[in-house]
Amino acid sequence: MSLRRTAARSAVLFLVALALLLPPVIYAQPRTGGELVLVSTEEPETLDAQKTGTAVTGLLMRYLGDTLVTKDLKGNYVGALARSWTVSRDGLTWTFQLRTDVKFHDGSPFNADAVKASIERALAPETKSPIAGALFGPIAGVQTSGSSTVIIKLKQPFAPFLDNLTDPRAMIVSPQAVRELGDRFGRAPVGTGAFKFQEWRSADRIIFARNPDYRWGPAYAHAGPPLVDRIVVRIMPESAAQVAAFERGEISILSVPPTDVRRLRATSKYPFFSYLRKGVGLFLEFNVTKEPFSDIRVRRAFNHAIEKNSVLQIGLEGLGEIAHGPLPPSIWGYWDGIKEYAPKYDPARAKALLAEAGWRQRPGGGLEKDGKPFTFVLFAAPIDTWRRSAQIVQAQLRAYGIAMEIQTFEFGTLLSKLRAGEHSAEFMGYTYTSPDIVQLWFHSSNIGTGLTFTHNKDAKLDGLIEASRRETDQTKRLAIYRDIQTYIVDQALWVPLWTNTFYVAVQPGVDGVKIHPDGFVVLNDASLK
Amino acid sequence: MRAFLLRRLLLLVPTVLGVTLATFLMLHLTPGDPVTIMLGEFASASDVARLRTELGLDRPLPVQYVKFLGRVLRADLGSSIRSRRPVAEEIRERLPPTLQLALAAQVIAVAVGIPAGVTAATARRPAVDSAVVAVTLVGLSMPTFWSGLLLILFFSLTLGWLPITESEGLRALILPAVTLAAPAGAVLARVTRASVLEVLRQDYVRTARAKGVAETLVIYRHALRNALIPVLTVAALQFAGLVAGAVIVESVFARPGLGRLAVNAILSRDFPLAQGIVLVVASMYVFVNVGVDLVYGVLDPRIRYR
Repeated sequence: MSLRRTAARSAVLFLVALALLLPPVIYAQPRTGGELVLVSTEEPETLDAQKTGTAVTGLLMRYLGDTLVTKDLKGNYVGALARSWTVSRDGLTWTFQLRTDVKFHDGSPFNADAVKASIERALAPETKSPIAGALFGPIAGVQTSGSSTVIIKLKQPFAPFLDNLTDPRAMIVSPQAVRELGDRFGRAPVGTGAFKFQEWRSADRIIFARNPDYRWGPAYAHAGPPLVDRIVVRIMPESAAQVAAFERGEISILSVPPTDVRRLRATSKYPFFSYLRKGVGLFLEFNVTKEPFSDIRVRRAFNHAIEKNSVLQIGLEGLGEIAHGPLPPSIWGYWDGIKEYAPKYDPARAKALLAEAGWRQRPGGGLEKDGKPFTFVLFAAPIDTWRRSAQIVQAQLRAYGIAMEIQTFEFGTLLSKLRAGEHSAEFMGYTYTSPDIVQLWFHSSNIGTGLTFTHNKDAKLDGLIEASRRETDQTKRLAIYRDIQTYIVDQALWVPLWTNTFYVAVQPGVDGVKIHPDGFVVLNDASLK
Repeated sequence: MRAFLLRRLLLLVPTVLGVTLATFLMLHLTPGDPVTIMLGEFASASDVARLRTELGLDRPLPVQYVKFLGRVLRADLGSSIRSRRPVAEEIRERLPPTLQLALAAQVIAVAVGIPAGVTAATARRPAVDSAVVAVTLVGLSMPTFWSGLLLILFFSLTLGWLPITESEGLRALILPAVTLAAPAGAVLARVTRASVLEVLRQDYVRTARAKGVAETLVIYRHALRNALIPVLTVAALQFAGLVAGAVIVESVFARPGLGRLAVNAILSRDFPLAQGIVLVVASMYVFVNVGVDLVYGVLDPRIRYR
């Protein structure tokens, strides 16, 4: 018996050795055919890239459509439907040379006229575009020159323009299909992507079929048509049911809900991928117009007082990274030195700064200044991870004699309170594709109407942000973003806490899946074993 | 009889008017705005204002409500804000799966609940009665989002009998229908039990027994028919309740249906869609009730319609 087992083991070892020795030539080409089943918690409201306001439609457009420019797996801008592009010295004129071998799913030709018509549709008021219109927003006009050159004129220099063009909702749609289908276009979209629309069963599933003519794949995948015949996106609102269906093998690729990450990983049955959220998941933001946070020493003290790792481990169950500044490593423009530059956990320094600001220990415990105790209310939204994080921060601050009270509001109500400046500090988080997010969070023109909840009027910061939007030289822009990040850390406008890591599990029978840093699964090279 | 029917159907008008006004007010007075939800928190104030005007949401509430009523009178439910599709089309697509689910659940609830109730009421051994009552207590108190998940985990994942992602056909209907039927069946069992116990104490049952009619016949022919009137009332009200209960079950089992459509419409403050669904469900409720009133007459010839 034992002999037989030994023999079997040697046989296996021999086979493994053989497999390792043999040149890769003997491996068959990846199998084509079959279908991949994905799952989405939310149903898109429409598959019209220019009329959607939801993230899920954006994700699906990655398969159905192409943009002029895209980003490779390292986040560099590479051509997609545009072979190359140039920008004029004043940053106002962008010229795109288009590929000439592309056609839409309906067979109509892809050319300069189609690009012009597509962009003009996104901008037209009657399209009522929630996002695509804003992505193309700074455009003054689109011109064509011949059939493969598009010239876009901007109203003012706008550095984030190139990044906007990589958003899936900026995909080029077929003008012919738009004309023919009218209002029905959103239920039967036509683009140039690796997959074409096949069927949409409401609240049930959306089916895309392989585009056999696809030869213009992005640089990070093979150029030809995808290997699988179909992708099916099953719409399932309940995450526990999604996980059960994945474990039963009915779903090929799953965005794992945080509650199941540890358990599914522990089974080591499935290949796991992860990517960092494009944004800071949680930060404590100060209203600098209100006591006690109008004092920069107090804000700096907070940055030294909070031990972020406990917040990450308990608040987010360790499924993420500590945040150091206004930008996460997953957004282009992030300055790697911020990790060292940002204030470290240092209780002694925190206490010294508080003392310097005039806060003294009271005999009965607790800090006070001019007879008033150090208390404040933290505004937050009813999000589980935020609530737990708030409790840790609350406990940590109590050790310094600071009493923090937590109040939660429904998100819309919270935003309007923050706009009105009713808070002294709040918990917030964001997801965004480009570093231009700093304009939304910090530029003083957004006080009261936008997201500048610090209510901070700072000409120097405004100037830096404006410069970052004007500068079209990427190297110079990076330098400006570094200055913005260090300046915001110096001013201690936030206590950045954590950024989530998202996990994707894949069935062992699926090969060639890649995760794009922009948070979607690349399926061009995926195949079934 | 005809006058009765006419009067009941005319009652539809104030009922529906009241229901739409109530939902209209609730939707508009709770915090949240469809445009901000659509555009997200990064939208500029001017984009929000522009879309609000285009959707007519900047008009005073009474004007919006009257416009809505005017459209309903012309049999036009308007278009969904979120999907921009006609509301009638959305509802037509989603109503059949929900009716299917509610009907299947109703059949299971009746088929299990009524015999269980009769058994409990007529059981010679008190243990049987207690067992039925205990089981109904479990059925009543388990929330469907939980019992549904338990059924998935047990029958689909552990035993591997039933698929999870399928949404069409009988196999896909079993678990959701059982989940939805559990609380309804439990209520039916309890009402049946109480009602049968009540009827069994009546004189005519004693007379039947005295005549020497077989016990089974006494129960099913004489007692049950009378006992069924309150049961039927509860079952009918339940049917409308099942359509509402489908909201949760449809989410857990990822079935396309009206319940999920309604939840999404409310969450995204899709006013026209939410109004349309409420209008349809409320009308169904009224029709089911009229139907039940008519069935009373069949069960009990003493009932007259005036």
